[in-house]
Amino acid sequence: MATQNFDVCVIGAGPGGYVAAIRAAQLGKKTVIIEREYLGGVCLNVGCIPSKAMISAAHFLHRVQHDAPEMGIEIKSDVKVNMKKLVSWKQSVCDQMSGGVSQLLKGNQVTIIRGEAEFKTAQELVVKSKEGATSIVAKNFIIATGSRPIEIPGFKIDEKEVLSSTGALALDELPKTAVVIGGGYIGLEIGSYLSKLGTEVTVLEAGATLLNGVAERDCVQVVERKLKKGGVKIVFGAKAKSYKKTGSDYEVEYDLAGKLEKVKCAKLLLTVGRRPNSDQANLKGIGLQIDEKGFVKVNAQRRTSIAHIFAIGDVAGQPMLAHKASYEGVLVAEVIGGMNRAYDAKTVPAVVFTDPEIASAGMLESECRAKGYNDLKIGKFPFAANGRAVSLKETDGFVKIIADAKTNIVLGVHMVGPEVSNLISEAALAIEMGARVEDLALTIHPHPTLGEVVMEAAEATLGHAIHIIQKPLSRAEGSSVRATH
Amino acid sequence: MATKDVKLPDIGEGVTEGEMVKWLVKVGDVVKADQPIAEVMTDKATVEVPSPIAGVVKELKVKEGDIVPIETTLLVLEVSAGASAPAASAAKPAAAMPTAPQMAKTVAPVASASASSGASTNVASGGGLDVYPPAAEVHVLATPATRRVAREMSVDINSLHGTGIAGRVTRDDVLKSKGTGAVAAGQPSFATTASAGAATGASAAASAKAAAAMPTRMAYVSTQPNAEERVPMRGIRRKIAEQMQMTKHVVPHFTIMDEANVSELVKLRDQAKVAGEKYGVKVTYLPFVMKALVAAIREFPMLNASIDDQAGEIVYKKYYNIGFAADTPNGLLVPVIKNADQKTILEISKEIQELAKKARDGKLSLDEMKGATITITNIGSVGGTYATPIINHPEVAIIGMYKVDWKPVYKDGQFVPTQVMNYTATCDHRLIDGAVAANFLKAFLKRIENVGQLVLEMI
Repeated sequence: MATQNFDVCVIGAGPGGYVAAIRAAQLGKKTVIIEREYLGGVCLNVGCIPSKAMISAAHFLHRVQHDAPEMGIEIKSDVKVNMKKLVSWKQSVCDQMSGGVSQLLKGNQVTIIRGEAEFKTAQELVVKSKEGATSIVAKNFIIATGSRPIEIPGFKIDEKEVLSSTGALALDELPKTAVVIGGGYIGLEIGSYLSKLGTEVTVLEAGATLLNGVAERDCVQVVERKLKKGGVKIVFGAKAKSYKKTGSDYEVEYDLAGKLEKVKCAKLLLTVGRRPNSDQANLKGIGLQIDEKGFVKVNAQRRTSIAHIFAIGDVAGQPMLAHKASYEGVLVAEVIGGMNRAYDAKTVPAVVFTDPEIASAGMLESECRAKGYNDLKIGKFPFAANGRAVSLKETDGFVKIIADAKTNIVLGVHMVGPEVSNLISEAALAIEMGARVEDLALTIHPHPTLGEVVMEAAEATLGHAIHIIQKPLSRAEGSSVRATH
Repeated sequence: MATKDVKLPDIGEGVTEGEMVKWLVKVGDVVKADQPIAEVMTDKATVEVPSPIAGVVKELKVKEGDIVPIETTLLVLEVSAGASAPAASAAKPAAAMPTAPQMAKTVAPVASASASSGASTNVASGGGLDVYPPAAEVHVLATPATRRVAREMSVDINSLHGTGIAGRVTRDDVLKSKGTGAVAAGQPSFATTASAGAATGASAAASAKAAAAMPTRMAYVSTQPNAEERVPMRGIRRKIAEQMQMTKHVVPHFTIMDEANVSELVKLRDQAKVAGEKYGVKVTYLPFVMKALVAAIREFPMLNASIDDQAGEIVYKKYYNIGFAADTPNGLLVPVIKNADQKTILEISKEIQELAKKARDGKLSLDEMKGATITITNIGSVGGTYATPIINHPEVAIIGMYKVDWKPVYKDGQFVPTQVMNYTATCDHRLIDGAVAANFLKAFLKRIENVGQLVLEMI
């Protein structure tokens, strides 16, 4: 078996791994990246990107069907969805992105090896592929092996009967009915685009709320209302127990307050969360410490219990988000490159591509209080009062800002509404910079844009938004404390 | 019975390792929670490390004299099953230590970070995995760029007092926390990093490297290695070396010297010495010299100042903290008499005695060595006629005092045996001109020679 030597060996070419490999190469390290499936990982191939393609198409259809007539656009013939064509367009999007990753890696002289990696010792790993096995010896390893969907008893993901997001995104025929088990962001994104394309969707959520712990309650309510209006059935407190095949359909049995209920569907999706791939690649065998939740234990530099091995992304801890993985990828490569770096971002913004979108940066209100901020200023501004939102015919939602009443420092920004996934970066910057609400309010935002809602929400937090009626500041509810700085 | 590792905690202040000076327990000892178990000397001070929990000492993992990085297991305790282990596995240093709050902070933030969905992280506990400096805590306000500069300079941003709006830690706060020396030398490279913004790849690496390698480290090539002994340069010695090199690099020094007739001072001090004995206090010349110095620098405020290179400003200090150089077995230390202008000779004498003892025992806290506005080095107690000491940066002057000697002084047509003492004033020439220094020395010696004048201005 041939042995190759490298400075840095990255395992997994997802948004954490490929970014780490490129930065390591930029720093002059001889770098190899090992990928068993797709360059770009789940994100680019069966996750973020393809789901966004499907969501765009479904939203487009929805707009044509619901908004176009009112805007005076008359469509004489029926609007039809060609699922095969849609899926192949979606695939072209993924291919383009994945190809870009390949070019970037090659352009930076990163060696790409396809195959399944397994540590033999802490210094050496073996990559097995159809072509045979290769041994890799490296000074530093970066584990970026990601995560995979969680299964629950009674449901085993086989992508035929029980689909994960991967199987759902690959459907080239639109099911008449679908049951989505799990009302987290993956289930809701897929459930809502299927619903818009014409599937009758039922969401079985074990808890009492959708997107639990991810978003503020009032943001979720806007989405919940719209899902229901669009015909999606949501059952709370429903614990899926089992399913059986009845002809070409499935019957899912679930427990609802101690009573067994049944629901029929043509397709069954399981989206109850993801678990880190820490049980693979012989990580335990070489003595890496893994925590009780299955994440590889790392420190603020993402160094594992073995000093020359690092772990980033989903395998190394919450939140399991691509952009967190990329940040860690750069950080770890620079640590290996001899720079003093550590994870000290204040916030990992989160976005959910429901309709309307949800986005948040910084702390939830409950988190602010848990951190000892007892005196808060909270302001909200609705998209319905924004000219651009009205002219887009996308007026559901609002921007909410939470600030420390003592200093007016922005602690959290929570949004639900059109394009909020694109608006949240401003909030993330504000929080990283330690901005005060006035900084957002006094920055001139161009008119007419959705971004003005952020500025107006800041004004509302200070008690004097222009385009909604607020009580005079002196009589506004909550704290009357005005920062003196 | 379960066992529990007791580790060297993160002591804060940029300390990454310590020397195990002395074990205070041995195998088989029963220790209580918070009982000191070892004395560890860092490059800043000697601290007592307490045990976080109660138990029986099973094994000592390090030997006296070992250099121990933080988070290293010091000893293994046998604890009764069910004994509640504290949340942080590391022991806390003695509460009396000034760095204790910072240490508590450094342990806490990593753990608490996981609670927030925002900056949620999965952090390993123990296992030598802690990173210095720790990540910024949720309440700390600093921009990402400032946080990065702090990290590159090994400054714990959580320990800084922010001077910006609403307590924001500014870039300046970070740069100043390391002393202006680091700023002067490191600044160009930091500026490069900053202006490049997202400086990537090799250029960022190069600038970071440049920043780290502030003074050029010269190798010594042996010609007779067998006839030489190599000892690691650690602790106070290394700190002194860094501080001296930085000061010589930053400050253009010059020294002015003169001789004073101290006949009256000798008499005054002799009487005070006898009087002091009743209080159990040894009165030396140093407190009198301090009083003369305070009076003189009131007249010449630029001697009691600092230069803020960053801001391009001179900082005149309205308080009088006098540092005094103390020779200790481990090297030079400079304890500080705070507000010397407000204390009596007796009070100062007592404090000098206490601080000097602490210095010799390696028990000085950081606080007791911080904040001097000007320093006196008393070389006279050893010997020598004159010296050219190095200023204790960021102060701008250091006063040397030398031995009291009999000399023939020509006066009124004859040589009179006179007690004299030499004095030097070494100044930062950026701020203090030669003529100013000469006039200052004259004003200072006027008080040394004329006890009447000295007593006039005393508390």
